[in-house]
Amino acid sequence: MSVVNTLNERLPYIAQKQVKKGTSVPLACDNNSIAGAMSQRACVYSGARVVLNPVIDAVHLVHGPIGCASYTWDIRGALSSGVETFRTSFTTDMKELDVVFGGEKKLTNAIDEIIELYNPPVIFVYSTCIVGIIGDDMQAVCKAATMKHGIPVIPVQSEGFRGNKKDGYKAACNALKHLIGTKAPEITSKYRINLLGDFNVAGDVWLIKPLFERMGIQVMVSMTGDSTARAISQVHGAHLNLVQCSGSMTYLAKWMQEQYGIPFFKISFFGMEDLSIALRQTAEFFGSEEMKQIAEDIIAEENARIMPEISRIRERLSGKKAAIYMGGAAKALSLIKGFRELGMEVVIIGTQTGKRADYEQISYSVKDGTVIVDDANPLELAELLVKKEADLMVAGVKERFIAYKLGVAFCDFNHDRSVEFEGYDGFVNFAREIDASINSPVWKAVKQKVKEENNSHDTVMMEQVQICRELEVLV
Amino acid sequence: MTKRNFVTVNPCVMCQPMGSVLAFKGVENSMVMMHGSQGCSTYMRLHLAHHFREPVDIASSSLSERGAVYGGSENLKKGLKNVIERYNPKVIGVATTCMAETIGDDVPNIIQEFKEKAGIGDDLTRDIQIIPVSTPSYNESHISGYIKAVDAIIRHITPAGTEKTPNGKVNIIPTEHLSPADIREIKQITSDISGPYILLPDISDTFDAPMQNDLPKIANGGTSVTDIADMKNSNASIGMGLVNHNPAVEYLAKTYDVPGLHVPLPIGLGNTDTFFETLSKISGYQIPEKYINERGRLLDTMVDVHKYLYGVRSAVYGDPDKVTGIVSLMLEVGMYPVLVVSGTKSPNFRERVESLIREIQPDCETTVLDGVDFDTFNDAIRSIGPDLLIGDSNGKYISKAENIPLVRVGMPIHDRVGAQRLLMVGYRGAMELIDRITNTILEAKEMEGPKVQICPI
Repeated sequence: MSVVNTLNERLPYIAQKQVKKGTSVPLACDNNSIAGAMSQRACVYSGARVVLNPVIDAVHLVHGPIGCASYTWDIRGALSSGVETFRTSFTTDMKELDVVFGGEKKLTNAIDEIIELYNPPVIFVYSTCIVGIIGDDMQAVCKAATMKHGIPVIPVQSEGFRGNKKDGYKAACNALKHLIGTKAPEITSKYRINLLGDFNVAGDVWLIKPLFERMGIQVMVSMTGDSTARAISQVHGAHLNLVQCSGSMTYLAKWMQEQYGIPFFKISFFGMEDLSIALRQTAEFFGSEEMKQIAEDIIAEENARIMPEISRIRERLSGKKAAIYMGGAAKALSLIKGFRELGMEVVIIGTQTGKRADYEQISYSVKDGTVIVDDANPLELAELLVKKEADLMVAGVKERFIAYKLGVAFCDFNHDRSVEFEGYDGFVNFAREIDASINSPVWKAVKQKVKEENNSHDTVMMEQVQICRELEVLV
Repeated sequence: MTKRNFVTVNPCVMCQPMGSVLAFKGVENSMVMMHGSQGCSTYMRLHLAHHFREPVDIASSSLSERGAVYGGSENLKKGLKNVIERYNPKVIGVATTCMAETIGDDVPNIIQEFKEKAGIGDDLTRDIQIIPVSTPSYNESHISGYIKAVDAIIRHITPAGTEKTPNGKVNIIPTEHLSPADIREIKQITSDISGPYILLPDISDTFDAPMQNDLPKIANGGTSVTDIADMKNSNASIGMGLVNHNPAVEYLAKTYDVPGLHVPLPIGLGNTDTFFETLSKISGYQIPEKYINERGRLLDTMVDVHKYLYGVRSAVYGDPDKVTGIVSLMLEVGMYPVLVVSGTKSPNFRERVESLIREIQPDCETTVLDGVDFDTFNDAIRSIGPDLLIGDSNGKYISKAENIPLVRVGMPIHDRVGAQRLLMVGYRGAMELIDRITNTILEAKEMEGPKVQICPI
């Protein structure tokens, strides 16, 4: 019997850990979405856009029709400590004539106009489906513009139909390669790192950087959260890359290892356990005894500081069941640990872009009976939430209202949150948000109503019988 | 800022396929499929979920590189099959995207082939209705997408050459999407005055679904196929909107002799009066006392606020017919609409707005911008300096930068709750909007000036 009712073609993408002893998780993944299966994934362009968008002083120019720019205007939730150029939406707004006669000329003119009006340090030019179909030579246009204006105008090959979201991550990394190594690094410490795959949603990075700075480490850049073109161009001056969102940034980290000999670790800044690992591993890498001691001090002090609040909330959440549906696998894995730290159990876990190795690791980390799903859709998620009796779902906006309509608590771990979840205070924020959603009195009202509807007929009958009996007694 | 000719900065429109979604979601038991790459449907789902705070499912034919080279027929057919298997809808709207249009897929023909193979006939009661609509994103906007989809639905379900049996109903066909609260109000008014009606598209429940004991695969509500098929038998059709017309009204008039009347969106006193009079004329019934009282309360409201609002220089932006309606309301309470903007270029928008102002407030100097982005709008704001903004939440950047209060109406509203419950039409809607405008002004004034001492020193 299948775990959930779905299309036959979707069955290989959904598995339950160890239902039968000795079976491994035979999870299909890393394929294009099935037509009509209602995937929650977006397109290649979306993948590229979410990775690059937090570069705060860049102009992000969408070469395509109006919709692609309209729906992605300032959707990332990434914060800036400086200029906010990235929150403005630029597009060539291609019309039928551009489609018929080609959009290269309009693109060239648009770039000229942007440079004249905004004078940005870099322009990322995103290609969309239509550009791929009509065959505009974006590479040539961008190259010519770079020569003409003397600032990097970088093509992002993100035609929506050429693969899925993770191909967009790669396109974004390829675009970043154009910037990296183009300026001499400004060095302030003999220990230097980059944070890769942190997008500074709600200001996450600002809770992480000070931890490393206290250890005497210079954080050259966070890619791409709150980053600038200038900072990115100097990242080759680092000794180590810490990769958080591994789905999007491992490709770039590997390239930097080959190109500049910079090694990388996959880490996470979410949850107490993963934070400790990240700090210890980094100190271990540099080998300084002093640094190792500071890392231990930070871990001890910070854990002691937040523990009373975490323990208080843990008591309120203990035994509750969580469902996880994330874009990338790295965050999903980190969340498993985070929920454990809050005394909660994960019953459903899925991602949009996980790879085979990710799912194997997920499978090691979850309990027997946990449902693991790749590229899920609303009907599967809804059925699973009910079947697995999840108390809370953590996912993005599209999933939020599925959970709510089913009376399930929800936490947004994507773009649409206003508080930090990374770092020590971030984990407290996360715990408080989970508590606020699970233990809100609204669910009591919702469940009462649902109960009444379910048994309305029976309940009314029962009450009548009861009243009759009471009357009889009175008589 | 210098004039721009090539780059669009901060779009004030959504794309054509989005308009078709807003229309198809108002049909009972329907599903929309974007024929294109996976992203289009997902972005629209995200945008709509954010605005309505409801689950929004939009299928995709998920075209890939293979589709780009060999055509999208295989994907579209597979997508239709899978959507039918999983959702079992009564209606599937197939909207094309840029990609499908440019690779040259003959969508009606692909659908025909699919229907033949799947054994789906043309019987309205028995068979699934698959309705194609051509909506490439590089043409026009969500406004035209909405109109085209409504037109396609009516033509598909009410083809020429069938028999007519008068039903005594009235058809209501808006030309622009309205909030669920607005649609509910229009339904109530129509039913109270002229009795039975058919309103298409009815998103009042589908985009504002009550909590139930389970989550239906497709949200309940919407105009049924039976009702749409019955539109040819109605006494009259009322097309709501004057800047744009819905050709479906003319289609029903020409093909089935259903008289068509176009009225403005019932926003403000005069426009609502027109709607009531039109309904009353068609049905021959009097306007019930309930609405006479509501009208009286609106007059009371207008008198109460007239000094707060007189001469308040305001900018209004968004969709052309809604903006024109709001301009009417503003003029009725003495406000000065000094900057009036439509994100979508429309043939007689400028004309209509200017004639309204000439008629009621000729002293007001008004700049009308037609089919512009927010950056151009911002330039105009900086030179004109209005005291108030009225429009969707994308105006928040200008509101913050220029320190001008913003009254949120229209779509998208992503940064406040309750977009689905915003009421703007009818006498009640006018009262709500006037109250919100006035309170926004009062609140902004209150924050100015020195603070009052509230604690002893």
